[in-house]
Amino acid sequence: MSKPLNVALIGNPNTGKTSIFNLLTGLNQKVGNYPGITVEKKEGTCRLPNGTKAHVVDLPGTYSLNASSADEQLVVETLLSKNKKDYPDVAVVVADVENLKRNLILFTQIKDLQIPAILVVNMADQMERRGISLDVAMLEKKIQSKVVLVSSRKRTGIEQLKNLLEDYRSLAVSKTIHMADIDHDYFDRLQQAFPEQDLYSLWLVVSQDVPLTKIDDELQSVNNYSERATPEIKRLQQKETIARYLFINRFLKDVYQVDSSKATDWRSLLDRVLTHRVGGYVAFFLVMLLIFQAIYNWSSVPMDFIDESFVRLSEWAGNHLPAGPFTSLLAEGIIPGIGGIVIFIPQIAFLFLFISLLEESGYMSRIVFLMDRVMRRFGLSGKSVVPLISGTACAIPAVMAARNIENWKERLITILVTPFTTCSARLPVYLIIIALVIPDRTILGFNLQGLTLMGLYALGFAMAVFSAFILDKILKNKARTFFVIEMPAYKLPLAKNVLYTVIEKTKSFIFGAGKIILAISIVLWFLASNGYSDDFYKADEIVRAQVENAQLSDEEMETAIASYQLRHSYIGILGHTIEPVIRPLGYDWKIGIALVTSFAAREVFVATLATIYSVGSDEEETIKVRMSTDTNARTGEKLFTFPTGISLLLFYAFAMQCMSTLAVVKKETNSWKWPLIQLVLMTGFAYLASMIAFQLLK
Amino acid sequence: MWSIQNILVYLALAGALFFLVKKYFFKKNKKMNGSDCGDSGCSGCH
Repeated sequence: MSKPLNVALIGNPNTGKTSIFNLLTGLNQKVGNYPGITVEKKEGTCRLPNGTKAHVVDLPGTYSLNASSADEQLVVETLLSKNKKDYPDVAVVVADVENLKRNLILFTQIKDLQIPAILVVNMADQMERRGISLDVAMLEKKIQSKVVLVSSRKRTGIEQLKNLLEDYRSLAVSKTIHMADIDHDYFDRLQQAFPEQDLYSLWLVVSQDVPLTKIDDELQSVNNYSERATPEIKRLQQKETIARYLFINRFLKDVYQVDSSKATDWRSLLDRVLTHRVGGYVAFFLVMLLIFQAIYNWSSVPMDFIDESFVRLSEWAGNHLPAGPFTSLLAEGIIPGIGGIVIFIPQIAFLFLFISLLEESGYMSRIVFLMDRVMRRFGLSGKSVVPLISGTACAIPAVMAARNIENWKERLITILVTPFTTCSARLPVYLIIIALVIPDRTILGFNLQGLTLMGLYALGFAMAVFSAFILDKILKNKARTFFVIEMPAYKLPLAKNVLYTVIEKTKSFIFGAGKIILAISIVLWFLASNGYSDDFYKADEIVRAQVENAQLSDEEMETAIASYQLRHSYIGILGHTIEPVIRPLGYDWKIGIALVTSFAAREVFVATLATIYSVGSDEEETIKVRMSTDTNARTGEKLFTFPTGISLLLFYAFAMQCMSTLAVVKKETNSWKWPLIQLVLMTGFAYLASMIAFQLLK
Repeated sequence: MWSIQNILVYLALAGALFFLVKKYFFKKNKKMNGSDCGDSGCSGCH
């Protein structure tokens, strides 16, 4: 009996490879594990038209032959083991018709191993609906191989594939690119070290991150090659990928076209609306409006519950634990400080819920594509959109995400302007100030507080773009980069993924910020509960002795004593020292303290005020109530008025209040020059904008 | 009881100061990657 024909099914994940395997083998298949590893092995048999038996192996999905997982390593090892029983006589490379370019990368790698290969273009039934045209004959000529259009859904093209398998000996085994052209020195040395071996096989062995163990003995020795796993390898891998894309680009536009105006599927129709030059922005605006309205309307009940719970906990601690300074620290420092951040869990969770839904559904990629048109006019790369959008979570990873921008000027501008986008650390500050100074009423059916929050997000983004425009005029460099994005298919978000993201992000916010807030709350309580002068320690006697206080009720007297003591505590003295500088902005010494502490991290602002307002105050009131009724000691007027609130919102929108971001900017630019410029310009501009706003509105 | 509470306060204060100084002034120059700061967003500068 003749040896069956070995057929390997190879392809990117989600190309419908397994459906084709099922169509080829029917029920003649078995599933097991590869020896020694937990990678599933699917193999089966099929009978070709001339009666030849074919042994078909469905190899794990992989994007390329540069393995990064056990599954992918197994694919490479199978293709490099000519003496093993699974080594294919012919490889069937399954490609998805919508992502042909990316799929062809893997195809060219397999061709370069000189394995006879057939390209199966799957999901061919979608071509007409998606406006795709493919010149199969010309593609066959260009890649010097056979191409077959298959629809695993409609079961078409399988018989043609079987005919081609039968005739596999006629397939050309020419190479697509020559490795020596990439770097003569390196590849000449490699070939001279192993003159008997095929150069591309040698390259695949030396370029893997993990040594390949299940390959032919003669290739095993290559694992010990001295120039294996060096930094140079990564550079050469990149050059190889570029060379492959250049090879594909040379012919692809002649053989493969997508005319989205002819597409009739719902994805294309939706894309036409969501990426339209006018409709796209309208849709984006409406989605944002919905998100910010929902953040406000849905989270008010849980927020009130959390706020009241912390007040009750603080009250319980003060009344039931043994009296003393540590009890005061708990009741007036730690519990209100932590409560000041925990209260924002509902709104932060809702924000991340919506961001996650946008990402999961595939709409986020359309937003990035849409905004690219705007970005280019302001000297930014299309790639800058990703840091700017991820900056809504946190500027630190966003600044780091600018690394993939090749042009130094575009990269530097992106790094410098990204901290303007509204990060989640600003959210608690915005939420408390908006709640204090913006009326909770509706305008044209929309919640005014929600509209204000949305306006602040838009302001941050507009400021980032405006700053980029200015920097583009100042910094000189003419080189430009290109923006390429693959639009994923629309899909219903998986509840598990969305939930995981919401929990992870919220947890990260609470525990990451919580540690700093706890530490700062302890220090602040200590500074607010201690002083060095008689004014602090004899506050009771001094206040009672003052003639104007003689008529005060017991409760009013207690408040007057606490206020006098706080003013003469360490923190009061510090606050009063800096008050002249911040007075033009409409702030008093308490806000001044919060500004200083929140330089470490913006979210500390709310916890600082929560601690300051808790020391010596009535425990039954919520922090919001205490802040809303507080008066400016100098003017006697309410402290948190509309002008002060707007001034504060502008200050936090523009100021560089984040030490960690400055550290990352220093690291990414390799210089203190840029973070210092960023700090001075951003904070200086914030000071001016806040002062002008307060002086005009008061 | 009062003295024990005082000791606890000073211990908490020392711990808090140690944490803040270590975090902002003696931060290890470790290699940053996505996981150092959440995956796509660390949600706050901490």
